[in-house]
Amino acid sequence: MYRASLLLAAGLLAAGPAAAQTVTFGASTQLTGPVANTGRYYKDAYQFAIDRINAEGGVKVGAKQEKLAVRILDNQSDVNLSVRQYVQLLSQDKVDFLLGGFASNFILADSSIAEKNQVPMVQGGGASDQIYSRGYKYIFGTLAPASDYFGSTIEAMRKLDPKPQKVALLYADDSFDVSVAKGTRDLLKKAGFDVVIDERYSSNASDFSSLLSRIKSASVDAVLMACHETEGLNFIRQAKSLDVEPKMYSLTVGVPSADFRQALGEDANGASGMTAWLPSPQLKDPWFGDAQKFAQDWKKRFGYEPDYHAAAGVAAVEAYVKAIEAAGSTDHAKVRDALAKVDFDSLYGHIKFGPTGQIDLPQTMVQIQHDAVVPIFSGERFVGKMQYPLLAWDKR
Amino acid sequence: MDLLLQILVNGILLGGLYALMALGLALVWGVLNIVNLAHGALIMVGGYATWMLFTRAGIDPFAALPITAVALFALGYAIQRGILNLVIRAPMFNTLLITFGLEVVLAYLAQFWFSADFRAINPRYAGNNFALGPVTLPTVQVAAFAIAIGLTVAMWLFLLHTRIGRGIRASAQNLVAARLYGVSPKRIYALTFGLGAALAGVAGGLYGLVSQINPYIGGPLTAKSFVIAIIGGLDNPLGVIVGGLALGVIESLTALYVGPTYRDVASFGILVLVLIVRPAGLLGRTA
Repeated sequence: MYRASLLLAAGLLAAGPAAAQTVTFGASTQLTGPVANTGRYYKDAYQFAIDRINAEGGVKVGAKQEKLAVRILDNQSDVNLSVRQYVQLLSQDKVDFLLGGFASNFILADSSIAEKNQVPMVQGGGASDQIYSRGYKYIFGTLAPASDYFGSTIEAMRKLDPKPQKVALLYADDSFDVSVAKGTRDLLKKAGFDVVIDERYSSNASDFSSLLSRIKSASVDAVLMACHETEGLNFIRQAKSLDVEPKMYSLTVGVPSADFRQALGEDANGASGMTAWLPSPQLKDPWFGDAQKFAQDWKKRFGYEPDYHAAAGVAAVEAYVKAIEAAGSTDHAKVRDALAKVDFDSLYGHIKFGPTGQIDLPQTMVQIQHDAVVPIFSGERFVGKMQYPLLAWDKR
Repeated sequence: MDLLLQILVNGILLGGLYALMALGLALVWGVLNIVNLAHGALIMVGGYATWMLFTRAGIDPFAALPITAVALFALGYAIQRGILNLVIRAPMFNTLLITFGLEVVLAYLAQFWFSADFRAINPRYAGNNFALGPVTLPTVQVAAFAIAIGLTVAMWLFLLHTRIGRGIRASAQNLVAARLYGVSPKRIYALTFGLGAALAGVAGGLYGLVSQINPYIGGPLTAKSFVIAIIGGLDNPLGVIVGGLALGVIESLTALYVGPTYRDVASFGILVLVLIVRPAGLLGRTA
């Protein structure tokens, strides 16, 4: 504790405006540990964005052209280690600006280091509304608010025929999923759905048989599940083996990710989810051309498909470049004020932070059909044909 | 009523798998007096072995289980002879450290080779089920349950009636006397650890069939196995079955009546209760 506060004090002293020839970002993310398969998106995204921006000349700071660099540490999927590493990034490594790792519970803790040192942090890994409800000035986020993750899904459910009557809301007891549930509960109530099961389960749960049996016994039509990937995976496998067949089910995380679909194979078909980003050629970008080209280049370089986590990570770096160029300096307070005003189109969508620092992007409801992610509902209208009600498990 | 019946069945099926997971841990603990913190990691390795045999070599996961068991036996035997034997007479703290180190090494090697992506052993029949009255029974889970019970009983008979089994029990009860009667502890220890690893391997294959595998599932599985071994006691493989089933049913009922977020509170609460009331386990000798 004593040492930590010394480090903090040192960080405060050293955090003045840097006069380096390169602008260095610092981030701590999950390269090992249980969340490593999502954490890697951020490492790859930051490296990819910085290489591309440097190849195009780097960033213009006032009259000088400077290069970008990034220092990434592995937090081993441990929140406490992550916080210590952010202290280290500021006090010892003396990075200029902070980027984030994955997941709301990490960002919730890490952002306090940024705020305390008054160094901006732009992150694409935490969506929980909790992060932005504390009046912090230096935290910005490129993920849409957790409370609205199911917004488009519920809008779509109102227009389905036959309209689902009984709804089950399940959520893990972590920061992100609790925020999702809170927002979703209100939305469901407003839309007049009958929520017959509203249940919290422990984060990283592997057995859902009791919940599934309740869902079956209550003849639930639609299951909305706020979860992370492993939980969603276990839920789907066990739903099949216990013969639980709601008319639809939707998961907050997992559906747009390639390894999720690979692990489940045919059983993934029919699963709904949402994404704020699809690799569409309509999303133009100053550095990558457009989102479709970005996705192809990403696949070529890293050997796997990017999802919205990847795009949100790239958007965080791009927002910094725009803000530094607008501020004409790397002064933390000036860049912070410039970040609050950025307003540009990117491969991820339109980047503009709200008054709390969080972006607001509509979620597109998607469904896995024939092992591919198909956009279903854009927030206002259907853009694809949804498989509804779902076919029996052995026909998917 | 139907719901309660279904939940009880879910719990019992889950408990069978739990028992198999804990069996190897309890065996090694009882005989070598080592709490093998790498036990969950061996389950993970077994899961990957079965997954590889299924996806790369096209071998049915159930047919792959014996191969996994043999491979894990060899791995366990080698680990005991090469590493654990160095600290076999050392205080318990050293064995905890060394098995913890093994856990870390195995997890990182697994990420190195297999990446942190999730894998599921998912043959076409993985989600099949059949109905028995009002209750839905998942076929794979029933098979896993049968294998778990079968292996536990086989282990019990093996310890009771074979020469090696008696040697293992003798080493656990009184090492000096066992040596006087010609039991070679070196060999017995390696065999026991190999058996423990083989059981972990089979549990891993079955776990991959009903859940998912990634390099970091080991820690929580070790904790769960530990709880079951304590509840059941170390004297007798049948105690582990009782421990596993008890835990499975209690967790399922807690999820139904109290809420799924309190499952771990229930299981670790039971652990504390057993330690207070029956420190030698439910089927253990009373002091």
